[in-house]
Amino acid sequence: MIKLEAPHFITRHVLFALVAGGIGGVVFMFFLLEFDHYTSSNEFCTTCHSMTYADDSYQASPHYNSPSGVRASCGDCHVSEGIIMATYDHAIGTKDLIKQLFGPDYDDPVVNLLHLPEAAFAARDWFRARDSATCKRCHTLEAIQGVRANTAAIHQEETGGKTCVDCHYNLVHRHVPSEQTFKRESWNAMVEGEFGLEPGAAVRLLSSE
Amino acid sequence: MRLLSLPSPGLLAKTLLFVLLFGCLGQVMAVKVALDPDNWGHPEGENCVSCHEKASPGLAQQWHDSAHKVAGVNCMDCHQAEQSDADAIEHEGQIIATIVSPKDCGRCHEQEFKEQAGSVHAEAYAIIEDRIPALAQNMTGSAMQAAGCDQCHGSLVKVRGDGTLDPATWPNSGIGRINPDGSKGSCSSCHGRHAFSKAQAREPSACVRCHSGPDSPDKEVFEASKHGMLYAAQREQMNLHADTWVAGQDYTAAPTCTTCHMGAAGKIPTTHDVGLRNAWNLNQPVSYQQYLVLFEDGSKLELPATEKAPKRGTELEKADGTMAKVKAVITPDRRRKVISLVCLECHGKGFTEAFMTQFDNVVELYNSKFGEPAEAIMAVLYERGLLTPLPFDEPLEFTYWELWHDEGARARHGASMMSANHAWWEGMYLVGRNFYSRFIPQARAVAGDQAAEIIDPVLASTGQHEWLGEPQQANPILGWMPPPAPDVDADAAAAGNEEVSQ
Repeated sequence: MIKLEAPHFITRHVLFALVAGGIGGVVFMFFLLEFDHYTSSNEFCTTCHSMTYADDSYQASPHYNSPSGVRASCGDCHVSEGIIMATYDHAIGTKDLIKQLFGPDYDDPVVNLLHLPEAAFAARDWFRARDSATCKRCHTLEAIQGVRANTAAIHQEETGGKTCVDCHYNLVHRHVPSEQTFKRESWNAMVEGEFGLEPGAAVRLLSSE
Repeated sequence: MRLLSLPSPGLLAKTLLFVLLFGCLGQVMAVKVALDPDNWGHPEGENCVSCHEKASPGLAQQWHDSAHKVAGVNCMDCHQAEQSDADAIEHEGQIIATIVSPKDCGRCHEQEFKEQAGSVHAEAYAIIEDRIPALAQNMTGSAMQAAGCDQCHGSLVKVRGDGTLDPATWPNSGIGRINPDGSKGSCSSCHGRHAFSKAQAREPSACVRCHSGPDSPDKEVFEASKHGMLYAAQREQMNLHADTWVAGQDYTAAPTCTTCHMGAAGKIPTTHDVGLRNAWNLNQPVSYQQYLVLFEDGSKLELPATEKAPKRGTELEKADGTMAKVKAVITPDRRRKVISLVCLECHGKGFTEAFMTQFDNVVELYNSKFGEPAEAIMAVLYERGLLTPLPFDEPLEFTYWELWHDEGARARHGASMMSANHAWWEGMYLVGRNFYSRFIPQARAVAGDQAAEIIDPVLASTGQHEWLGEPQQANPILGWMPPPAPDVDADAAAAGNEEVSQ
């Protein structure tokens, strides 16, 4: 009969620590999973008033309302898959929380809209750096049929060297020009016109931050 | 031979105008593009085509069928843009603009660009800009500006702050479109994209989208004219696809709009200044003959020939309010001579001149009998506060507007291009009916007890409305004639006979 004997360094304390650590680790993993899940939800994102502006345009888009009933949540697109990358994205994302708390008043629709282009450029860079990984959670290039006869052919034959977001931007949120052609003065004038502000108000707002 | 009627006809100006109006035949055929072919054939163009063959096969096929393709000009050559351009967008990694403006086309088609700049076509939006609120905003609604006025006159294209084109101003291919790059006009107004077929632009249908309807029924006038009759019957002989298209040389079957207003004929070169050959302005309350003033900055201006011609070198205010130096002035006579030279490819000189006399007589009749009196009466009614300054809030204003803008324009256009129906039944007949049965009675009602003082002297001064003062003059046109006056002798004789027979 083989007698299993624990090594001598496994003392009761060590054993206790291992069990507690193991359980703690599992609990922590579950916590992270739940945390990432919760912090990827639309409800969590829109607890900040500043995010409700993004929510408005999102709710008007096919990513919110599709005939098939598939609905992409904030996190489906903006948080990477897998617990490690999701946690990483959330950790990095805390900078947005810090800016929300200590930065400009993003809750103000004017301030929010004035800063939207930079946010859009950053988001596009994020998608590009990940080869549009979150798009591909749902969309499979080979399976894209589209509604027109040639949509499939375009996606098969014309996408070499491109990633989804190279062509598909301004899909869900308010239209922002490409970073290359963006013109701050025109954007400011648009914001001023939309909110009935006098010319120059946008520059003053931005410089007072 | 006196070629020019300039106020100070210097040799330089003569030479300049000679070249402008009578450039050698070689010029007619040679000038295609100014740019060296090394500048086109953008390497990215193939990628555009490959995808657009699937994404928008219609326009891709049109391009495949085009002379542009044959010459190696691709999508990027026309659509490429600078990052700083107001309407620049990023598209599949390239910086492009949706709108290809005359300035863009002018990179290669330099001569056409210069010719159309400042023409009545290029200025079509600027010319009516201050009138738009009256009809398109007050009377109807601003939706009508995009769907109506701007479709022909062009829109002031607005690029929104987010880089998109404002749908209130785009899509638009109106001929006086103000483009985001500041250039005026739209080549695709007449040259359907993306085939840009020569034959298509030479067809009368290239003009019909705008030159039709009650106020400028040029389509209808042309179709009802002998020219239109011959064109319809002999269209196969029009040689519309020919490389060069000189009237009298490459085709003789019939003229189209292009032939007379822009086309090469004999020694006259083709021009993209479509109003260059128009001696009259036919779309005003009163027609006037007009100078074409050419400025040193390349822009142009039309001025009534009732005023003294501006001198070369003087500063003059342009249509857009800025000042420019006068380079040359083309008189109405000169303009008439140019268009008459087109006629001479098929008609004799006497025939041509007599036709022009018939046309001028109609315009002068309209002016003196109806246009000038109506304008004068309206002016007094406004001056005395009997009409409010606001247009179209009083029935008389519609009556007056239709008198000159619709019926009066139809009569004048009909006479200019030989549609008897439009000159008369659709034109001057309606002018007369309107004038006597609506305009004058309404004006009298508006003038109230001042009617006799305001209106009668104006009518009397023309010397053409006196027939109204002879109500006893009979005519069988309405089917009734007064019974003949009793013949006293005959009656007496009849009575005598009766007596005899009894």
